[in-house]
Amino acid sequence: MAANESIIGRTTRVRGRVTGAVDLLVLGFVDGEIAVSGDVTVDAHGLVGASVQGRRLVVRGAVKGDLLGEEAVVLEDGARVVGDVRAPRVAIAAGALVRGYVETGEGNGAPARASRGEAAARPAAQARVAPPPPKPAGKPAPAIHVAGGGGSANNSHGRAAARRPPPPVVPALKKAKGQIAKKKER
Amino acid sequence: MAQARTATHRGEGGQARIGGGARVRGRIHGEGDLVVEGQVEGDVAIRGELTVAEGATLTAKAVEAQTVIIAGAFEGDVAATGPVRVVGGARVRGNLRGSTVSIDEGARYSGRLECEFELPPELGGSSRGESRGRPAARR
Amino acid sequence: MASTVIGAGITVEGEITTDEDVVVSGTVRGKLSAKEAVTIEHGATVEADVTGGSLVIAGSLTGNVVANERVDLQQGARVIGNVKAARVTIADGAQFKGNVDMDV
Repeated sequence: MAANESIIGRTTRVRGRVTGAVDLLVLGFVDGEIAVSGDVTVDAHGLVGASVQGRRLVVRGAVKGDLLGEEAVVLEDGARVVGDVRAPRVAIAAGALVRGYVETGEGNGAPARASRGEAAARPAAQARVAPPPPKPAGKPAPAIHVAGGGGSANNSHGRAAARRPPPPVVPALKKAKGQIAKKKER
Repeated sequence: MAQARTATHRGEGGQARIGGGARVRGRIHGEGDLVVEGQVEGDVAIRGELTVAEGATLTAKAVEAQTVIIAGAFEGDVAATGPVRVVGGARVRGNLRGSTVSIDEGARYSGRLECEFELPPELGGSSRGESRGRPAARR
Repeated sequence: MASTVIGAGITVEGEITTDEDVVVSGTVRGKLSAKEAVTIEHGATVEADVTGGSLVIAGSLTGNVVANERVDLQQGARVIGNVKAARVTIADGAQFKGNVDMDV
């Protein structure tokens, strides 16, 4: 166990927000936001009822909230997540179950350290307020079904446009994409 | 270069391959497996396993298959009856649905995952229709 | 090793409840209740009512304290609040302001 690791024990329930410059191991139930600058591990029996922000998030338990990793988010076998997952690197094992928007790539995940440790709500608000960049010309939006949280999913998609990897360059198919746009608009 | 509007793969359980230099525009459907090593633009509906190889590109509105393995570039929605695997090096955009969905660390992905499951009762039980994890009431 | 550790850099705003023991080296604002031992280390800041099996306080606590067994304030402790326990000790060097109720 790391020297600077905090532990929420198996029978412990926290109703409120957890912040700090620490690593956190959740064996119990945190019914509130977690926003730390270290790594967060949600153990197999751990439960988190709101968003989790940290450097590297490893989840084996259940989370009802967004997972924002500054470095990575790893969902291991047995993880159950309802919420969005964003980090430069994301790994999802076959036995992990997710319902939500997932996005890899730089620029995702928790904001700079300076703003963390303060109200966790602020970084989340920052994420949504980022101006959606213009879509690449002529390229239609992928057919992503926006179900449930419509508004927020749209925002995150707008933000995603800046950060998604550049589309594969296929010169011969560039013209075709315009035609696909017509097909989709039907 | 295959520019067929509709390409039907014949044979049961056989394998179809679109080689590295090939470009296909159109719908591909049939029994058996499909390996895409070239560039395909169009929907895919097969009964077997779809593989998008490293270096390959598949752009579709909808892909249906039993198993889907993506190592190359893919854009579109996937509905698989079995596992969906996005392996390292892949670049994927679109929604994925399957019996299991796995994404290797290092792959690039953006889209929605829609697995059917229930959260534990402490977190509200049913996860249906919810994608934002905000507690209903905070003390 | 305590089952719940609120480390030095961590802040919890809200309620903590556990069946086991807790060691607080960081900050807790709200409420803390454990069935077993609660240790508030030197440097910790607790602004909460605390309930535990027993309490050892070496840090700063503002709030009411109720323990089943005993409460020990160690040197360096700063406690503002009422303390209720079967046994209470206040070490030399501890600061305390509040009522003590040992009538359990």
